[in-house]
Amino acid sequence: MKKASILMIIGSAMLLSLFVFPMWNIRLGAPQYPEPLGIDIYINGLRGESEFDIQNIDGLNHYIGMKTLPKPEEMWEFSVFPLVILAMSIMGILIGFLSIAGKLSSNWFLLWFVLMSILGILGMYDFNQWLVAYGTDLDPNAIMKLLNPDGTPMKYNPPLMGHKKLLNFDAYSYPRLGGVLMGIGMIFTLTAYFIGRSKVIKTR
Amino acid sequence: MKTSIRIHSLLMAGLAFLAMSCDQGNRAGNGALSSNIAEKVYIAPGERDEQYGFLSGGYSGNLTVYGLPSGRMFKEIPVFSQFPTSGYGYSEETKPMLNTSFGFVPWDDLHHPDISQTKGELDGRWIFANGNNTPRIARISLTTFETEEIIEVPNSAGNHSSSFITENTEYVVAGTRFSVPVPQRDMPISEYKSNFKGALTFIAVDPEHGHFNIKFQLIMPGFNYDLSHPGRDKSHGWFFFSTYNTEEANTLLEVNASQNDKDFIAAINWKKIEAYVNNGGGKKVPARYAHNVYDESTHTATSTIKEEVLTVDPSDVPGAIYFLPTPKSPHGCDVDPSGQYIIGSGKLSADITVHSFDKMLAAIDAKKFDGEAYGIPILNYDDILAGTVQSGGLGPLHTEFDGRGNAYTTFFISSEVVKWKLGTWEVIDRQPTFYSVGHLMIPGGNSRKPHGKYLVAMNKITKDRYLPTGPEMEHSAQIYDISGEKMQLLYDFPTHGEPHYAAGCDAELIVNNSKKIYRLDENKHPYAITSPAQAKVERKGNEVHIYMSTIRSHFTPDNIEGIKVGDKVYFHITNHEQDFDVPHGFSIIGQGTSEILIMPGQTKTSLWEPKRVGVWPFYCTDFCSALHQEMQGYVRVSPANANIELSWSLDE
Amino acid sequence: MKSIPFKLILIVLALSLVYACTNRRDGSTQSEDPQATSHPKGQASVEDDVSAKNILQVAMSSEAHSTLVAAVAAAQIEHVLVNAGPLTVFAPINEAFDALPEGTVENLLKPENKAQLATILTRHAAPGSFDIDALKREATKGRKIYMATGDYLEVVIEGDKIFVGGAEILSTIPTSNGVIQVVNKVILP
Repeated sequence: MKKASILMIIGSAMLLSLFVFPMWNIRLGAPQYPEPLGIDIYINGLRGESEFDIQNIDGLNHYIGMKTLPKPEEMWEFSVFPLVILAMSIMGILIGFLSIAGKLSSNWFLLWFVLMSILGILGMYDFNQWLVAYGTDLDPNAIMKLLNPDGTPMKYNPPLMGHKKLLNFDAYSYPRLGGVLMGIGMIFTLTAYFIGRSKVIKTR
Repeated sequence: MKTSIRIHSLLMAGLAFLAMSCDQGNRAGNGALSSNIAEKVYIAPGERDEQYGFLSGGYSGNLTVYGLPSGRMFKEIPVFSQFPTSGYGYSEETKPMLNTSFGFVPWDDLHHPDISQTKGELDGRWIFANGNNTPRIARISLTTFETEEIIEVPNSAGNHSSSFITENTEYVVAGTRFSVPVPQRDMPISEYKSNFKGALTFIAVDPEHGHFNIKFQLIMPGFNYDLSHPGRDKSHGWFFFSTYNTEEANTLLEVNASQNDKDFIAAINWKKIEAYVNNGGGKKVPARYAHNVYDESTHTATSTIKEEVLTVDPSDVPGAIYFLPTPKSPHGCDVDPSGQYIIGSGKLSADITVHSFDKMLAAIDAKKFDGEAYGIPILNYDDILAGTVQSGGLGPLHTEFDGRGNAYTTFFISSEVVKWKLGTWEVIDRQPTFYSVGHLMIPGGNSRKPHGKYLVAMNKITKDRYLPTGPEMEHSAQIYDISGEKMQLLYDFPTHGEPHYAAGCDAELIVNNSKKIYRLDENKHPYAITSPAQAKVERKGNEVHIYMSTIRSHFTPDNIEGIKVGDKVYFHITNHEQDFDVPHGFSIIGQGTSEILIMPGQTKTSLWEPKRVGVWPFYCTDFCSALHQEMQGYVRVSPANANIELSWSLDE
Repeated sequence: MKSIPFKLILIVLALSLVYACTNRRDGSTQSEDPQATSHPKGQASVEDDVSAKNILQVAMSSEAHSTLVAAVAAAQIEHVLVNAGPLTVFAPINEAFDALPEGTVENLLKPENKAQLATILTRHAAPGSFDIDALKREATKGRKIYMATGDYLEVVIEGDKIFVGGAEILSTIPTSNGVIQVVNKVILP
């Protein structure tokens, strides 16, 4: 049981890496940008992969009427997400310690995992909503108004995950270190639950 | 079953061996293939060259940047000449760069580029160049590829034995080709002899910023100081200057300066003179010269006129200067990577003279002198001679080194490069040049550690090498592969202006330091604006200052009214891009200067003096974006007595 | 049984490799060195009928200098005579070569004596432009002329005649890259 609890503590503590490392990354490459422009998505805001990438992406996007990339204060997510992550992490660590003390069973691990997963899915859903809004809510007076072959206005939202061709740009969207560590941490907590459960069965 | 495995492995091994030997045979066989030569200079699209070559532009006044081995020109860096392509020397910020004690001199004859060194090896920080005509020395940054500093050299004329640097870039040295009265005065030309003087100037280079300061001027006899090179390694601390016209003729030099069988190479122990000066030696004399410095943070140059220079009379520092007799008006004066050999190329001679540094020191110690000239001891030719190269060529000019014990000398009259061995003086190879070669350059070939893979020969005469372009042809250069025993001609390429000498280095020394943008948040230009919201127009009497910004694809502001005929309108334009290779340009109808090209994060100023009433357009001159053609604006110019208020706007 | 086709494939592969190898070697012998075809004489083979004639072109058009021209070709120093110069060439007429001891010219024209011949010929060339007035000035000022080999030749005026290195100047031909002074003797050390 102690081993499982430690795994639970480590797993939920790994969420804290999101305060240091970016969660997600979107990269835009084109022939005239041999070094692609990149946005690192942190739980508390967006940062350019290179110093002036955000400015340059905004500069390019104004031609197609996209809004400028949001500052932290322009999106409630950037103030709420850090609180949620912090709360979940603390909660997970507490559960771990309480289970060492024998106050809680490993079922709590599963509960934490399910809660975290729901929050994660909600977060992803919200992220995707933002991408779509960002890529389709365009200035009607945009300099360039491009249509799809079927006559509908072209959308420029980058993919939630993977690669997508946007005009002359190749857009890539993948998790970065923070996101990866969060995922591993969550797997740890789930593993902790299974270890804890098998111990319980054995002792029975 | 076992046998079959054995057969398999035998066959496999045989096949592998065959494939390998076939490949090798192929490679060897290709040595003579013309396609192999083509491969050596072929840089596939998107690939990059191995080395940089910086070729002097001669009478263009500028420096050109090439890739080696492809011979592709990357850039022309304006140094001593106004350059409408970027607005250098036209923009208000860069006009002071071309200021001199004679006023604004918008041209010069750029001769000898030399890359900065640390411990005798190229360090790729700066490149120095000399202006021959109105004596000047320039320092060019190899991070921004911009001219950052120019200092005028007083008491000098025909600044030719310049701008060579000592092995830790302690000094950049400038020697006069024409001796002149020092100080200048009104006197008969015929009294040249013993009255005219030759100034050799040692300009200290600040190790951190590269800033110039004339440390001292050595006031030498009135010879012509033709070329020079520093001692290196064992001879570090010495500097060698070739001379001609030791006859001190003042007319028809082609005859009168060719009378003496031997002229001199002047060997100067600059460390000794430096110590003398540091101990308070030398004499401060009045002199007027300009010192122009470009500040990267304000993007602006300032020019200061200096009034005094420290001179040193050679007779006051005994033991610091000696003359090495060298046959037939030596031109090139080159020092090998070990510092042991000083090579003098008598331009009217068939042979190359090589002096030994060790023998020179021994002769000085033994005080074996063969007379003196103006109090400077002359050493005995035979005592200091290391050897002569019986080249079989005619008109030797310049020598460079490959770092593998070989030297390469150009011959103007016999149009060839001759490869010979240091120490044995035997000729190893000779290759024709097309035609009449002047200088040659091996990247790093005048340092302790040459990057000796290619040799660039810079020819004076082009004739039929390219498609004809009327009476004037650009000079031709040839690149040779010198990695083997024999030189191999690879490629011809045209150059710009007249390259006298060049410098080069491995690309890796420079590539990673090359700047991509100027940071807008570090822009300290007094008229810079960091946000379009700060854009404004101010009037001070008849001066109008427009604080303008650019970003793809508009100017802020782009409608300006209230300007009057007779105003002096300063467009101070800040490029707000922070994206590599996105400059914007600016030009306006009737502009009496040139357009200006503004790099990302930079501020530049163009002066416009409207002469006619009307509404006049301005536009971006650099195709910056898909909507470049939309990047334009208007200025309304009203009569001088009009009452139109100043106003400015964008999209209102 | 299974291994036979595999073996076959290997053998075929090996044979084709041998073939490809030899084939490519053949190819390389047929190609030529581009340097060999590019202006063997250097600047001397530039085609130009419009510019004023240079020293080599003038000498080639002079019947009195056929021996000299042949010697220049044998010594392969044509490009020196078309160089920007300026040069003064003291050009001995055919009779001057004839006056040399029997067999001297034939011997010098042999390929193995190329260097010696080149030295003799360059001893007739001086860097700088010396017309008659310049030669007279050299003589009166007691100055010698420095030749391309490093030797000095004395200029002497005797009555109407001018001698350089013992050879008499017969006539003067200005050219685009210097001066030809026609002389009656080969100037030997």
